[in-house]
Amino acid sequence: MKLIKKILLAILVLFVLIQFIQPAKNRSAQVLPMDISKVVDVPESMQIILKTSCYDCHSNNTNYPWYSFIQPGAWWMASHIKDGKGDLNFSEFGSYTKRKQQNKLKSIAKSIEDETMPLASYTLVHTNANLSKINKELIMNWATTMKDSIALKN
Amino acid sequence: MKSIFFVIAITFTACSNNNIKSDEVNKVDNNAMDDTINSPSTVAGNQTKSVSMKAIVSSYLQMKNALTNDNGKDAATAGNAMTAAFQNVDESSLTSDKKKTFEDIKDDAGEHAEHIGMNGDNIKHQREHFDMLSKDLYDLVKAFSAGQSLYYDHCPMYNNKKGANWISETKEIKNPYLGTKMPTCGSIKEELK
Repeated sequence: MKLIKKILLAILVLFVLIQFIQPAKNRSAQVLPMDISKVVDVPESMQIILKTSCYDCHSNNTNYPWYSFIQPGAWWMASHIKDGKGDLNFSEFGSYTKRKQQNKLKSIAKSIEDETMPLASYTLVHTNANLSKINKELIMNWATTMKDSIALKN
Repeated sequence: MKSIFFVIAITFTACSNNNIKSDEVNKVDNNAMDDTINSPSTVAGNQTKSVSMKAIVSSYLQMKNALTNDNGKDAATAGNAMTAAFQNVDESSLTSDKKKTFEDIKDDAGEHAEHIGMNGDNIKHQREHFDMLSKDLYDLVKAFSAGQSLYYDHCPMYNNKKGANWISETKEIKNPYLGTKMPTCGSIKEELK
């Protein structure tokens, strides 16, 4: 019995201690000149959808809910953001080559169509990030149109 | 007291043993390094530009053939080989114009190769990247010689009939997008020489 108490106490102490080790936050107020809105046409309605459902992991600006400060969840989240930005970062979209920009837009449409994005583990908690059927269509149409417009510019 | 001395003595011998061992390892490493330094430089001397693109093209064909057999694992292996092949191209021998073209293709194709390499258990996702990669490879073969004659094939059915292209070394159609389900679907669009 005593041993169990000791173990539980140790876990509790560890839990409290790791709260002090917070990963750096993914937050930047400035809009870079290479932001997607400076490269292709992003209507305001589309901007809102992308911000709500994609930007937490695919931009330089994450909207952190209160529970995101509780460890070890915050580490898990930080690693997700790192991976997400590595594959696609809307804040730095302009730094991609034209070839890559087209492929990224194609992949955006594809992942929405296949429902691989937004991640199920993400929408489970962020229910507001769930995309309605109409919003899915809007994203797919927008991404495809933008992809074609970049192709035409070349 | 005696036991402390004993421990110290043992630690010393253990340490010196380690030193000898690590020295041996170093020697072996140096030899191995010499070999690796020597052999590529001798090979590189005989290598021409098209030969170095050849490694990329051959990893692509390997990937394509794995996908026609619905073998995601082999496709992943080929993806990793392609990532390495792109790194191994000696860009210093390219003119600045060609270098720009190559870097543009490498930047994009490298990412697709990497994703194909990571998704050995998700052939559907591999094929999505393969679709985009095929366009990159087509541009690569057009800009640089592949060193062999190739065919640019078209599959009208893939991706909800949006269609996709691929490069093949054989005249015979073997579809990498639909795999064993529909191996002969498609047609030759262009001959690449």
